[in-house]
Amino acid sequence: MRECLKLIALLILLPIGLVAGEHDARIRAVLDHHILPGFQHLSEEAEDLSNSAAQCSTDKEGVKAAYHDAFDAWIQVSHLRFGPSETGDRAFALAYWPDSKGFTPKTLTSLLNSADPIVQDPEAFSTLSIAGRGFYALEFLLYDERLSMLGDPAYRCALIAAIAGDIDANVAAIRNDWETGYAASLSQPGGDSPYRSEAEAAQELFKALLTGLEFTAETRLGRPLGTFDRPRPRRAEVWRSERSLSHVRLSLASLRDLAALLAEGYPSTAETLDRAFAKAIDRADTLDDPIFAGVVDPKGRIKVEALQQQVNNIRALAESDLGPRLGVAAGFNSLDGD
Amino acid sequence: MKTVLHAASLLALSVGMASAATNPVSKADVVENYANIAAAKYEDSVVTAKRLQVAVNALIADPSAEALTEARQAWLAARVPYQQTEVYRFGNSIVDDWEGKVNAWPLDEGLIDYVDASYGGPTDENPLAALNIIANSSLTIAGETVDASTITPELLESLHEADGVEANVTTGYHAVEFLLWGQDTNGHAAGAGDRSWTDFAAGDACTGGNCDRRAQYLQAATDLLVTDLEWMAAQWAEGGEARASVTGDADSGVIAILTGMGSLSYGEQAGERMRLGLMLNDPEEEHDCFSDNTHNSHYYDGLGIQNVYLGEYIRVDGSLVSGASLSSLVAATDAAVDAELTGKLSTTMQALGRIKTAAEAGFAYDQMLERGNVGGEALIMGGVNGLVDQTKSIERAVSALGLDTLEVEGSDSLDNPDAVFH
Repeated sequence: MRECLKLIALLILLPIGLVAGEHDARIRAVLDHHILPGFQHLSEEAEDLSNSAAQCSTDKEGVKAAYHDAFDAWIQVSHLRFGPSETGDRAFALAYWPDSKGFTPKTLTSLLNSADPIVQDPEAFSTLSIAGRGFYALEFLLYDERLSMLGDPAYRCALIAAIAGDIDANVAAIRNDWETGYAASLSQPGGDSPYRSEAEAAQELFKALLTGLEFTAETRLGRPLGTFDRPRPRRAEVWRSERSLSHVRLSLASLRDLAALLAEGYPSTAETLDRAFAKAIDRADTLDDPIFAGVVDPKGRIKVEALQQQVNNIRALAESDLGPRLGVAAGFNSLDGD
Repeated sequence: MKTVLHAASLLALSVGMASAATNPVSKADVVENYANIAAAKYEDSVVTAKRLQVAVNALIADPSAEALTEARQAWLAARVPYQQTEVYRFGNSIVDDWEGKVNAWPLDEGLIDYVDASYGGPTDENPLAALNIIANSSLTIAGETVDASTITPELLESLHEADGVEANVTTGYHAVEFLLWGQDTNGHAAGAGDRSWTDFAAGDACTGGNCDRRAQYLQAATDLLVTDLEWMAAQWAEGGEARASVTGDADSGVIAILTGMGSLSYGEQAGERMRLGLMLNDPEEEHDCFSDNTHNSHYYDGLGIQNVYLGEYIRVDGSLVSGASLSSLVAATDAAVDAELTGKLSTTMQALGRIKTAAEAGFAYDQMLERGNVGGEALIMGGVNGLVDQTKSIERAVSALGLDTLEVEGSDSLDNPDAVFH
């Protein structure tokens, strides 16, 4: 009887035109070709970063290279903010940004000045404020003029190693959760799964796509743009390590993959979306402004605004074409609010 | 298969019976009641802000410890109805465009008055973080000189978000709160801000300097708060613009209700206000940080979400405003989703109630935020989990009502996240 009711509920929930099981292959494809390999790659890079930082070499080039590789891998999965990445605030601890109140430099300064022994104890370190952990904190220690020289060098090195170790542990936990349970929850909705139906699981993935696009348009590009009268180049993401534009490119490329997998089976939607992505990516590729310093001058600004417009075009298309195809709405995301 | 069909017809029958048994609820009735509740909540906000105004005037006319305490009590009471209006923000652009004037937060309080040395000076984000309007009758903002010799509501309005920085808050509840309580310098220890009444005293008794200008500021900010709230109350009264925009198109009105509930529950309250503060372990990441009233702020936000769904609100004079509810509208289509959402809203209120009772018994919200405070973390995460969980059911209510395929203007975060981002 329970099974019967479940089936009926499913039939009622599914919009007209959709057949039960239609999303099944789609969800599995996103898992097999996007989510699982993405986190696998990230966990390998994070392990390299942790090993490299643990050596505490005076030559920082090795750890810097590992930082770039691991950060690249994170950006490629950073839009997947649900399930394992939200458990225990893992994603927040990997990536606390934007930091409009300057908590990250404040927290790091206090750790360095007091040589807080918390760096010796990974478990205690995992309870530290998210502002002192993750990739964005690491950037300050490796690239900020003041913080990269502050305090005792041996302590600073231990702090870098502690942050890298914490990143590695967090990433490993996310990967493990995906591989040992959450992938099944997503692909087999109902029962104990947080998703009641395939439509709810598909909605989660659709929301991840939209949230990723929104973050790139409004935050990665919107923050440095500020207003015409008051551009804010210093609010660009990780400008100290010159990764600002690179994050836009990495995230667009990864979201393009996700969009293609979600649009599988709807050729016209897939083609329209892919063309919109190609336009935006092309614009980003030809933009010669790695940290959006050009936003202060009208000529440079217009190029960044144009890129933002292209990303917004993709968002609009995803909402108007892909959402109805999948029979799902954008729902609520963590960027709602102010 | 036969069994399935049999069950399906049974189910259809029981749904039909359920909706026949209850009074038919129309979307038009639901949005009408939603507007009535908004009108009552904003009117109550005006009533209590006027009581605050009386208390502030008394403090300024004859400063004393008792008069300052009275004004603080009046501020706390004024927050009760106002926080319950926050659920109207995200679905209604008229509210969202306006609310920064009355409830902007967090603020760099050094812009307004003297602060402790540990506060620091100007920052990369905000060159005006330590401007101190009260101490300076002439100000320089982004290269321009501003005459601040008399502190008026107009001056405060013009300085609000000065230099395009959101933390430059010169008006609203939190500016008044800072003037009544002062900075909370207790860190994670118990205790709120502890401004002395002598900060408003005349002549030699004055502490903190510029007592006359501080009084002028407090009065101007309080007067402005009353005027701003009156404006919003008028928008929801009969013939008001906010009322017209939700009652004009009942479908988009219902979407506005659900958008407000979901955006406040998830991105704003569970995320920005509660979880982030916990993850940063920062006592300043409290919504009402000067007065240590954050537990109430969270509680009444949650209550506002619940009473909008249930369609009934208890006014500050004890009377009840009620009518056709969104809950019964959802129940008529899908009783299970309504039961689920009603249950989750009540679970959240229980969790927010635990934070409130613990705080009132002496375990302050800033203590709960401290690194490694297991009990505090569990209390706050209880509220966060409840809010996140109810958001899922709000999405299900959207689907149940068949609203997810509608293209309606003003549906903000449901089909245009951009609209609520600003």
